[in-house]
Amino acid sequence: MTEIKIGRLLSSNSRQFLVGCRVAQADIPALGTLVRVNPQSNYAIFGLVYDLYIADDGLVRQLATVEEMDESVIADHRINRSVPLEIRVLAVGYQEDGKIYHLLPPRPPLGLELLWLCTDEEVVEFTNSGRFGYLRHILREQDIAMEEVLAAHLQLAERAHRQAGDIHWSSRVVQEMIVLLRDDYTNLIRVLQSIADTQVFSENDWENQL
Amino acid sequence: MISEQTFTNDALTPMENRKIGYLIGGGLRENLKARLVIPSDQVQEGSFVMIPSGNWVYYGLVTDIQLGATDARFADEESEARLPGELAHWLHGQTLYTNLEILPVLMLERGPDPASQAYQPWLEEIKSGRRSEPKMMPVKTIPPHHADVFLAGEGEIAEIFGKPDQEGNFVVGYTREGGHAVCLNLDRFVQRSAGIFGATGSGKSFLTRILMAGLIQRNRSSLLVFDMHNEYGYDDVASDSGMKVNGLKTLFPARVRVVGLGANSMVRGTPADFSLEIAMKDIRPIDIELLSTELNLKETTPTTLEALVASFGPENWFSKFKEMENGAMVETEDERGRLKKIPAPSSVAAWANQAGVNAMAAEGLHSKMSILFHRGYIREKPAADGIGEIIKMLQNGMHVILSFGDYESDLDYLFVTNFLTRHIREAWEATTNQYRTKKLQEPRPLVIVVEEAHKILNRQMAAQTSFNTIARELRKYYVTLLIVDQRPSQIYDEVMSQLGTRISGWLGDEDDLRAVLAGLAGRDTLRGMLTHLQPKEEVLLLGWGVPMPIPIRSRRYDQRFWQELMKGKSKPQSEEQIIAELGF
Repeated sequence: MTEIKIGRLLSSNSRQFLVGCRVAQADIPALGTLVRVNPQSNYAIFGLVYDLYIADDGLVRQLATVEEMDESVIADHRINRSVPLEIRVLAVGYQEDGKIYHLLPPRPPLGLELLWLCTDEEVVEFTNSGRFGYLRHILREQDIAMEEVLAAHLQLAERAHRQAGDIHWSSRVVQEMIVLLRDDYTNLIRVLQSIADTQVFSENDWENQL
Repeated sequence: MISEQTFTNDALTPMENRKIGYLIGGGLRENLKARLVIPSDQVQEGSFVMIPSGNWVYYGLVTDIQLGATDARFADEESEARLPGELAHWLHGQTLYTNLEILPVLMLERGPDPASQAYQPWLEEIKSGRRSEPKMMPVKTIPPHHADVFLAGEGEIAEIFGKPDQEGNFVVGYTREGGHAVCLNLDRFVQRSAGIFGATGSGKSFLTRILMAGLIQRNRSSLLVFDMHNEYGYDDVASDSGMKVNGLKTLFPARVRVVGLGANSMVRGTPADFSLEIAMKDIRPIDIELLSTELNLKETTPTTLEALVASFGPENWFSKFKEMENGAMVETEDERGRLKKIPAPSSVAAWANQAGVNAMAAEGLHSKMSILFHRGYIREKPAADGIGEIIKMLQNGMHVILSFGDYESDLDYLFVTNFLTRHIREAWEATTNQYRTKKLQEPRPLVIVVEEAHKILNRQMAAQTSFNTIARELRKYYVTLLIVDQRPSQIYDEVMSQLGTRISGWLGDEDDLRAVLAGLAGRDTLRGMLTHLQPKEEVLLLGWGVPMPIPIRSRRYDQRFWQELMKGKSKPQSEEQIIAELGF
């Protein structure tokens, strides 16, 4: 298992944290990716990437107006910029003494803590733990593109589960989402439509499952 | 003694049955509500369900099936078109649902779980008599939320309605879903008057035949059938299928006598076993008064009839009145020598003047009664004592089918049924009194089958007829009624309220539905069941004679029915034994 380091923590609270990294970093996590920070050896906080933000650093406005730009200038802007790429992460659970909880972390991570990409095994373990309690942290957030984050997460996690030999995980998680949202017609339909657009539920797959 | 089966709860083991849902609300007054967990089309209105919970098993009927949604928009939107099939399927599974409404009817104590430690002490308490034996009782409490609901199986049907092979039980039909036999206890059935109702073509006649065959085969009570349309005695042809239908005489030749009305009467081309002729001396004013609507009699009729009886005596008034000439006049001279017409001495008017009644009223009555004077079955001196013969046969355990032959008019039906019933009632009353005072032979229970009952038991007539007394006084005289009718709303409320068992086929009329369900608990919910019965095939069993209401597919009156019935011919029993078992 190779651990992939993404960036360092800029700020945090109990519900979410902000991580900064270099723009050119090869392994920028995708929307919906499960990540973690390990403040202590027996304590890890899991989060879901819900937004990626590349801020304007002042110089880029001047460069954008240049008609012909050298590739080295673009590379320089991305590598040596002073403002990092920001990754916004929603806290969805934690692990303490080996046990996973789909609760908010008891203590938020501190500044400059390293953010790590979860491996497929960790994704399977975390999403299989309990009864999809981590979904409620996503569904509660009003200010994020919740349905898109869910769809992206489903697509990524489903791949991990499928590789681990579990082809029914997606069915279980979608049904749980329906249960959680069944009193909220508008949001449920939006979530289902987003999910319908993922590779998991493309028409071909559906026909095969039939 | 409680059966071993109840102790072991074999019949109540829910595992044998299919879970169809779980309770989500409701109560005793507003029915229980359950969430269905199987497709909605797999449960029907009227399904018999059981809800085992704690120490009790509750039994009830599905009275309504309703579609629901967590949000109406989920139901409005055809999401199959917008989402992949699997997603739409999951969405529907969680947001669209079916609720059942269940009418709780009975509950039975089943005791603690047989695997628990509390079970043996419970069993011991029953065996030692410290605790009463578990028995079916009307619901007094309800199961908790989320109690599982099961479709009742054969075991539960038998537990409640009785086992088909048990003495006195008669399979009257089958449950609609499982096709399990539903029994009617014939001994209980005849203890109170009963009614079979249904619109024309709903299968009343066949069901009546089936029940009558069962009663004859059971042979615990005699049957007197007023067969207005000559359909029960000899073989007939079904009006819809054209198939031959065996008559009761064909099937029970030794036990059934077909009596025709009038001398040399023929019933469907076959001579009757014997003929019933009514002697004029047996006719009483009450027999005429009952025909006031049919004959359009005036208010003066009772006075005139009273005067006739006063003049000629209770046995001769009818024949004397018949002999009178209506309107006959003679010429006579008055004191001044003038000719004038006066009523002839043999005329009605002459008698009326002499008796002090209104001559015109008497003449009017005579003319209206002329239709009776010329009835072939009313004789001055009949060849035999038909009434006495019928009573004797019924008392001796025979079953009599009185066919009206060519006399199919309402007038004949009303006159003869009332006349006969009055005599039967008098006879049974006398035997009952003798039995009670002198300890002579106990009367043989009798069931009088009355077709087109509304003609004799309507509001105007019921108060005056013997039928009303029979219906109300029930077992007192060992005579009960089996009313067969298509317009129960026309039957007097007091009579309807006395009916123990009611069996009803499809009814369309609002008033008829209300009449059939009058006085029953949960009638609003049962009403829906009645309106949705399938004509010709399904009937609803209701009332005192059945432990709980249940819609059934009625048994077919066919070869198989006869074979099954004949297989279980009852053994002869002593009269005392029969009476004791019937509970009279």
